[in-house]
Amino acid sequence: MNMIVNPVYKREMRVSSRSFRLALVLLVFNGILALVALLNMYSMLAQIRVTAEIQYGSFLDLYLFVAVLEFIMLVFIMPAITAGSISGERERQTLDLMLSTKMTPLQIVLGKLAASMSTMILLIVSSFPILALVFVYGGVTVKDIVLLLVCFVVAALFAGSLGVCCSALFKKSTLSTVAAYGAMGIVVAGTYGINQLALFFNRMPGGAYLASSNAGVGEGSSGSFLYLLLVNPTMTFVMTMLRLAGRGTAGGAVTQWFGRHGENFVSRNWVGCSVAIQVAIAVVLIRTAVWALKPKTGSGRRTD
Amino acid sequence: MLRIRNLRKIYGNYHALDGLDMDIGDGALYGFVGPNGAGKTTTLKIISGLLLPDGGSVEVDGVDALRQPVLLKEKIGYVPDYFGVYDNLKVSEYMEFFASCYGMEGLKARKRSQTLLEQVGLGDKADFFVDGLSRGMKQRLCLARALLHEPVLLLMDEPSAGLDPRTRLEFRETLKELNAQGMTILLSSHLLADLAELCTDVGIVDAGKMLLEGSVEEITEKIHISKPVIISVYKNMEAAMALLKEHPLVRAISVKNREIMVQFSGSERQESGLLAELIQAGVQIRGFVREPGNLEAVFMQLTNQEEERVVLSYEHDRESGL
Repeated sequence: MNMIVNPVYKREMRVSSRSFRLALVLLVFNGILALVALLNMYSMLAQIRVTAEIQYGSFLDLYLFVAVLEFIMLVFIMPAITAGSISGERERQTLDLMLSTKMTPLQIVLGKLAASMSTMILLIVSSFPILALVFVYGGVTVKDIVLLLVCFVVAALFAGSLGVCCSALFKKSTLSTVAAYGAMGIVVAGTYGINQLALFFNRMPGGAYLASSNAGVGEGSSGSFLYLLLVNPTMTFVMTMLRLAGRGTAGGAVTQWFGRHGENFVSRNWVGCSVAIQVAIAVVLIRTAVWALKPKTGSGRRTD
Repeated sequence: MLRIRNLRKIYGNYHALDGLDMDIGDGALYGFVGPNGAGKTTTLKIISGLLLPDGGSVEVDGVDALRQPVLLKEKIGYVPDYFGVYDNLKVSEYMEFFASCYGMEGLKARKRSQTLLEQVGLGDKADFFVDGLSRGMKQRLCLARALLHEPVLLLMDEPSAGLDPRTRLEFRETLKELNAQGMTILLSSHLLADLAELCTDVGIVDAGKMLLEGSVEEITEKIHISKPVIISVYKNMEAAMALLKEHPLVRAISVKNREIMVQFSGSERQESGLLAELIQAGVQIRGFVREPGNLEAVFMQLTNQEEERVVLSYEHDRESGL
């Protein structure tokens, strides 16, 4: 089918642009960020007047603050936006109508995901002028900002795919939202918790059995469980920010939080590896959503 | 136009479709009738490619519906038994959205949408929000949507449900017009009176099987037994009732004053035999005639075959002394 713009994406964008909600969210979100940034600058200027000393680190803190706020919003709002996308169509009884046209399940899923991601990315990009305030004092380059944007896009893709997948698998939006948040909780907190638990057991007297069961792992570490964190977008973000802020390396952070691990390709290229894995998982989640929308034999709900 | 063979669909242990066969000719207006749970919606969803069957074949205008789903969707227009509208879109935007779902964009999509909106009587409502439309208007909008890509077969699931009599009549006229233009229409409904007037062909389905299929005339002729026999009794009503209640071919009896309406499932020869038996039993008869059959009677008979014979009403006036 020769279509320049995905019809679902086009419709979603038309409806959201018509709504006052998006404009209000943009205003409130950027308003808060701008207020925080200006207060930060004001306090620093006040400090300079008193001490005649410029603390450049404070500007970097502002950058970190904005980036962290945006990331939290991305990871925790994206599932909410996407979890009702397909189940909402089902509840409105418009999904079958779309599926009875030449639209494929893949086009529907991608249209929904792209529309949700566009909204989130619009929010993020709209806040970049505030991030760019840091350029006045230096310390962060354009390359760093682009890298941060890549990290955000991958996190949005991951969280969005998870939401869309749950939305396709569950009939009701409420249920799919709960499932999306549950899955996101497992990915973010679960992988961290497993590593902390493994570290705890391995640091117990004579308790290196977990480590010994995992090849190539040093004593007093979370062992191979560390690699579970590759699927965790929060970990990817933290590693990116550490690099940008120049406050440590991935290996150093891992040692500090999860014990000493041997250096290898993954630990040296943590951000790249985790981005690749999260994109791959997002693709699997999208494929699962597409599968859920395809007509099936043998089971399903009785109609008439 | 449509050829279905041995169609099967199982939900768990429930056989929604149990070897359904169906044939619809080009240009037919086909009424698909059956009680609730007979398998009508399942059949329509399979034809439109929304469900996959567990067995059987579906062929639409020479296209294997199960193997060529993309080609199938070009040939089918589907109107389900719900509206499925986006309340936050205008009527014209709703139409253009579905036009783009069929690969139509720009001026072509707008022109086609406007033509169809005018055809279904919504030409002046293009800038209205779908939310503000009445139930009948939403139904007509759904019909216009299903016609966007000029399908050769239009599937409509219970299209008259929830419409007031006037809107139903207007909707029926629209369908007649479409059919007159050469479009083949498959219409599922339980409003048998509507179907009998509107449709050229009828298929009666129950428990996932096609019980009877053909033109409305063929069916009413074929099912001679569905026509009730009206017996006007002049004298000896008790004897007549006693004989009819025990008669193996009598399925139902209703009595009003001196007229007995009998659902008699026998042939014309057996019908004359019944008359002879009544006379032999001493019943004096002043009238014995078959009432013209209708689709409803056929439907009731076919879908209630196993039920025990029931006397619907018996108003015997002992005082009449007949």
